[in-house]
Formats: sequence, structure tokens, C-alpha cells
Amino acid sequence: MSAEMEQLYTQRMDRYTTAMRNEKPDKIPIRPFVAEFTAKYAGYTAQEVTHDYQKAFAAARKCAADFDWDAVVGNMVYVWTGLVKAIGLKYYAVPGIELPPDTGFQYLEPPEDNAWMQPDEYDQLIEDPTGFLFNVWLPRVSTEVSPMGETTSYRNNLSFVKGGMAMMNYFNAFGTQADLLRRESGTVSALAGILKAPFDIIADKLRGYKGLCMDMFRQPDKVLAACEAMMPHLLHVAASGADPDRNVPVGLWMHRGCVPFLSPDQFERFYWPTLKQIIEGLWERGIQTLFYAEGEWNPNLKYIAQLPDLSIVYHVDRGDIFEVHKAVGHKFCLSGGIPNDLLAFGTPEDVRDCCKKIIDGVARDGGYIMDASAIMQDDSKIENVKAMTEFTREYGVY
Amino acid sequence: MAEQEKPKIEPGVCIPWEEKRRELPEISGDEGIVKQVWEDVDGLGYLYIWQCLVSF
Repeated sequence: MSAEMEQLYTQRMDRYTTAMRNEKPDKIPIRPFVAEFTAKYAGYTAQEVTHDYQKAFAAARKCAADFDWDAVVGNMVYVWTGLVKAIGLKYYAVPGIELPPDTGFQYLEPPEDNAWMQPDEYDQLIEDPTGFLFNVWLPRVSTEVSPMGETTSYRNNLSFVKGGMAMMNYFNAFGTQADLLRRESGTVSALAGILKAPFDIIADKLRGYKGLCMDMFRQPDKVLAACEAMMPHLLHVAASGADPDRNVPVGLWMHRGCVPFLSPDQFERFYWPTLKQIIEGLWERGIQTLFYAEGEWNPNLKYIAQLPDLSIVYHVDRGDIFEVHKAVGHKFCLSGGIPNDLLAFGTPEDVRDCCKKIIDGVARDGGYIMDASAIMQDDSKIENVKAMTEFTREYGVY
Repeated sequence: MAEQEKPKIEPGVCIPWEEKRRELPEISGDEGIVKQVWEDVDGLGYLYIWQCLVSF
């Protein structure tokens, strides 16, 4: 790696980590969460970047090299559908197979009448979450895995071998990707590790959102106990993937915690307590959490304000970012706030105006990272993402 | 004889070392190495299922 590139990398890492400590770096860091946008820019279809992770990596690197960004995620098209099909997971619609090749992958809710976990199975999950996932959940969500007690099969055995080795290859490839981003464009890998809230896991992958809504009324104590049983495992998984140097945060991708999915009372009772403990547990280990608050989270600000100072980087989607800044800007670095529909349907001038408003409103004292409100798919116009980048570079200098 | 309560399985573990140890003959060498490597590889199995759940 050239000395020049190493210097650029060091500058960018310093800029990014300084902002995340809620301090004032030399400039506002730019860290876009770009998913299928990278495919559009680099000339790939959604199918190509979703099913072939080497193409996804290449697309991310091309964007990093061409745009003056400080940090990117190695691959934001997070579900590698090659692995999905090898394991036989039933809950995705895949571009180029179930979907047109230029449509992003779709997550499918568990069937309402036959969720992946039945309402009378909470005790099994609570008793041994890992055992339940292996023995009950995986056979239900996979076309390849045989249920316990039934005759095993060649396909059953293969799915574990293939799945395990493919997953290992994929995760190891992120290390190579991080190194290439650093060497080729001096770009920081923005995140390390993954976390989801216990409530979101139960909703998305086990009971379904509607099923869990019924459970909150019919068996609330079981829902709480299930969240508590999942909590140490999700903490362990997040910590095991975290940055060993403790520079970049773990990505927490939240789903059903905001209005209108949950009322603030339901949030306080069911969603928050175990998630808060996980975030605090990570912080005790020196690990920051990227709190991706997709949707409208401002009604929950009083709970989020309970978290230790600097323990999260608060990413704003539909919430009023100025209100967020007023409530918790003294505690946490903020990111995001440039609306995705503006990047998709607005003009570069609209985007520049929005960036200026946000920078003036929340970034004057540091502690802000420029990004769109939500993960950018292929609807974001290239000229608008350029405008967001270039304006921030000119105007976002301290 | 009263049935022993099954110990809770900790995060990072599929088959606890103590259970595996009972299946092994006398270990003539360094038991610490055997235990460490068992736990490391067992942890990979644990991560497989939890990463299927969380990441995919």
C-alpha cells in the first residue's frame, strides 16, 4: 500500500472515530449505507450483487474509489442469497429466481397460519434457545434439513456441510474486502459485527409480527421470558463479530420497535429492556453500537436517552433529526437524516439545501456523520448521491 | 434416583465440554488443549445457527 493511501486511510479513520466519540473532527465524515445503489453505479443487476458476493464486494469498492467517502460497509446487500439457496431457507424471495433480476431481495414474513414457531412452543425456546433453533426452527425454515426424529437424508447432511463452509468463506472474505478497501481507496470498513433486538428476532424469524402481537396480549410473560432467554446469545453473537480494535461499531438493525408497530408502552415493556441490556453489555466491553433507527423512533427518545453516553451512534431515518439532536445530541453522535425519497426524486440542488440545513442544525459542534436516512437501494439517483458527497466535503469543514 | 436437572447451555456452546469429556477415554496428553480446541470448534457450530438466524 502506498504511503499516500495509508495516510488517507489514517485521516479517514481518525475523522470517523472522532465523530463517533461525539467530538469535532477535521471534516464531517461521510459514511453512506449503500446497498443496491452500488450495483446501479457499478453496472451490475440486483441479482448479480445479491447472489454473487464477489460482485457485491467489487461494486462497493468501485463506489468507494469513485466517491470521496470515508467509510462504507464491505457489502450492504447483506443477505447473500447463494447461501440462502444452499441451506434452502424459505423466507427470501431472490432476484433472478422468485423476483425479476433487477428487484432487490425480499424478506417474507412467516405464514400467519403456520409460523416458524408455534404459540405453545415458548417454553422450548426459553429452556434452550440454541437447541430449539437447531432442532425445531431450522428444519421448518429449510427445504433441505430433516425434522428431528425423521429419517435423515443426503440433502440434509449436505446442507450443513455446504452451509457451514460457505458461511465461513463469506465471512472470511469480509476481511479481504476490508483490506482491499483500505489499500485501493483508503476507505474504512464502517461496521463490524451484527446485532438484532430479541423482540425483532421473535417477530421476524419465529412467530411473525402478527403472531407476536397476539402473544403480547395472550401470553405476555412468555414473550418477556423469550426475549430474556435470547438476550445473552445475541450479545455473544454481536461481541464475537465486533472490531477487535474497538474502532468501528457493531451494526444494530432494528425493525418493529417504532411506531406504528409498537406503542411506546409496548416498547417500554417488551422491546426495550433486553435490548438496552445488550447495548450496555457491549459498551462494557468497549464496543459501540450503530443504532439504526429505521422508521419513526422519536416517541422512544426518552428511553434511548437512558443509554450510557457514547454507547451508540444514533442513525436517524424518519424521525425529526433536529428533535433528536436536541434530546440526545449531547450524548451520542448522530448520522443520517437525508431523506431517501429526496435522493430518489429530488434534484441535486434540493439535496444540497437539505444537507446544508442538517449540517447547520446538528453538526456544528461535531458528532455528526453524513448519510441518507435509510439504506440506499437502486432508487437513489447517482447525481444526488454525488451532490450529497460533494456538498458535504465543501461545506462540512470545521 | 432423582433426575438431574439439565444444566443451562451457555451462549457460544452447543455440546458442553463436560458432556464430551465423559465420552472420551483417559487423556494421556494435555487435556487443556483438547478442551480448548473442542470449545473453539463447538463455538463455530453455535455461530452457524445463530448467524443463520441473525444474518440470513
